[in-house]
Amino acid sequence: MSQKKIVGVTACSAGIAHTYMAAESLEKAAEEKGYQVKIETQGSIGVENGLTDQEIEEADVVILAVEINIDMSRFNGKRVMRVRASEAIKNSNEVIENALNDATVYGEKGAKAGVAKMGNTKEGGFFQHIMAGISYMIPMVIASGLILAIANVYAFQRDEAGRIIEWGFDTSTAMGGLMSNLFEVGQVGFLLMIPLFAGFVANSIAGKPAIAAAMIGTYIANDAELLGGEAGGGFLAAILVAFAAGYLVNLLKKIPYPKLIQPIVPIMLIPFVSTLIITLLVFYGIGNPMASMMDFLYEGLTTLNENYAAAPVIVGVIIGAMVGFDLGGPLNKTALVFGTAVFTDTVAKYGIEGANFVPQTATQAAISVAPLGIWLASILFKNKFSPTEKVSANSAFGMGIVGVTEGAIPFGAQDPIRMIPAFVAGSAVAGGLAAGLGIKFYGGIGSPLGTFVGYIEQPIPFITWIFSVLMGVLVTALIIGFTKKKVE
Amino acid sequence: MINEIFDISQIEFNSDVKTKDEALQFIASFAEEASVVKSAKAYYKGLKKREKEVTTGFKDGIAIPHCKNKTVKKPALFLMKFDQPIEWESMDDKPVHIAFALAIPEGKNDDHLRALSTISRALIDENFVNDILNASSKEQMYQLIKEKLSN
Repeated sequence: MSQKKIVGVTACSAGIAHTYMAAESLEKAAEEKGYQVKIETQGSIGVENGLTDQEIEEADVVILAVEINIDMSRFNGKRVMRVRASEAIKNSNEVIENALNDATVYGEKGAKAGVAKMGNTKEGGFFQHIMAGISYMIPMVIASGLILAIANVYAFQRDEAGRIIEWGFDTSTAMGGLMSNLFEVGQVGFLLMIPLFAGFVANSIAGKPAIAAAMIGTYIANDAELLGGEAGGGFLAAILVAFAAGYLVNLLKKIPYPKLIQPIVPIMLIPFVSTLIITLLVFYGIGNPMASMMDFLYEGLTTLNENYAAAPVIVGVIIGAMVGFDLGGPLNKTALVFGTAVFTDTVAKYGIEGANFVPQTATQAAISVAPLGIWLASILFKNKFSPTEKVSANSAFGMGIVGVTEGAIPFGAQDPIRMIPAFVAGSAVAGGLAAGLGIKFYGGIGSPLGTFVGYIEQPIPFITWIFSVLMGVLVTALIIGFTKKKVE
Repeated sequence: MINEIFDISQIEFNSDVKTKDEALQFIASFAEEASVVKSAKAYYKGLKKREKEVTTGFKDGIAIPHCKNKTVKKPALFLMKFDQPIEWESMDDKPVHIAFALAIPEGKNDDHLRALSTISRALIDENFVNDILNASSKEQMYQLIKEKLSN
């Protein structure tokens, strides 16, 4: 039998004591057993003794003695055993034996929760490119969304009873003129964000030479006037154009250019040729069909929302469930992309009154539910959380309260069978309630605080939003409380 | 190198301290007197917080209280020997007699931090731990640690 190979990572919150004690302890125990061992330490000094992809690949098992979140994507498909650092110090022999015997493959089915982080999805995957684009777009979405929202508040002209009677700006007054301008500012932002998104998706696929083709192509695909049609192609067109541009540029890079012209290939030749090809393709090929398709889709969604009372609730529940299922993984991202896309596209097409807020509102309502649910459960059911889990739960709170779903990943990864259903149920409740109660999420952070840090229109100011999110949090917390085992 | 994070004046024998809390307070004020931390109170709070997250009680009567805090001016090691056994919720439930206290500044100073991490690793070495436990004078302890750090 060949020599067993063990690799591992140790990390703790202070990064000076447990990290190294655990590493030393594991190394010593493994060497005594005659195994080959390499332990990476992620401490205050940074990463030391780093594992290479090849070492991870060749290892029989990966032992993670970590008390903080680390990047897990490297260990996809490997057998992974996660323990507390103190456990590795105390019982290193047992930890190693358990790992060799019982470690489960990371990234399989239910255990998928921890795989994907923002921009960290599987190298080169579809979602990695999409998320790269989204991460560059988000600041613009938020900035222009908030400015649009401020202007929009002013645009609702109310009667004496406070009912909204008309929408529009009275530009004869200075204030009205200012607000009208601010509204334009927001709309320009919404117009630019789609090409911006496409540019950075293409950048993620093929680097700088692809940006020009993707941005110009998307701008055209999204402009009804240029296309001579009814509507622009919106996000779907942006994704299509960005990928077309990205892969076209990757192809163009493969051509063996004569040495003489090589220096100008990435800055001139490829951008020129790809922009020419992509924009013509948009004009004469995909532009109009995409635009009609998007129009059809959004009109359908809006009709559905308006004509069937239950539709927003159902959409909200499904979107919420998707957000809670894999905590930043592909499903979560699909929901996020869908929500943002539907909102920005319908704003661009039908104006702010005609915009479809449902998917975006549901997404944002659900985003903080899993991490906050964990935290609440750790408060309500103290005896079911170990001290280390309580620390993780507190950090989940910190992340949840600013709208970062990923705070729940350590729990989802550790105990997917119990945690994922709890996350999904709570997130679906929050999404369904927010959508069903007619909340409109313009912009801000996806947590109960969103109603203060952001702009959310709702039947009862502040209360409706907080209520929707907290109900979801409560559901998640209770399910965790009833299913999680007591700590001995 | 070693002189910058540790010297013989940073070893102290104490006969008054009876509880973990007193021990941490003692370490903190000692660190302040040694000009390693700006505020004993802040360092004490940091140590307490770290203990709350996870106990630093190790085995065989050794503990390694530590924290990373902006009150820490420079990385340092203190070695405390307590005459009275101190309950420290250690891994083997044995009371603690010796504390390796680490002060970790925020930001990075790799060489010094690396020296501190060497001390953490050294505690896994049973021979080293036994030698430390059996050492009776500050001078002996100092030599042991110096040897370990210069390896």
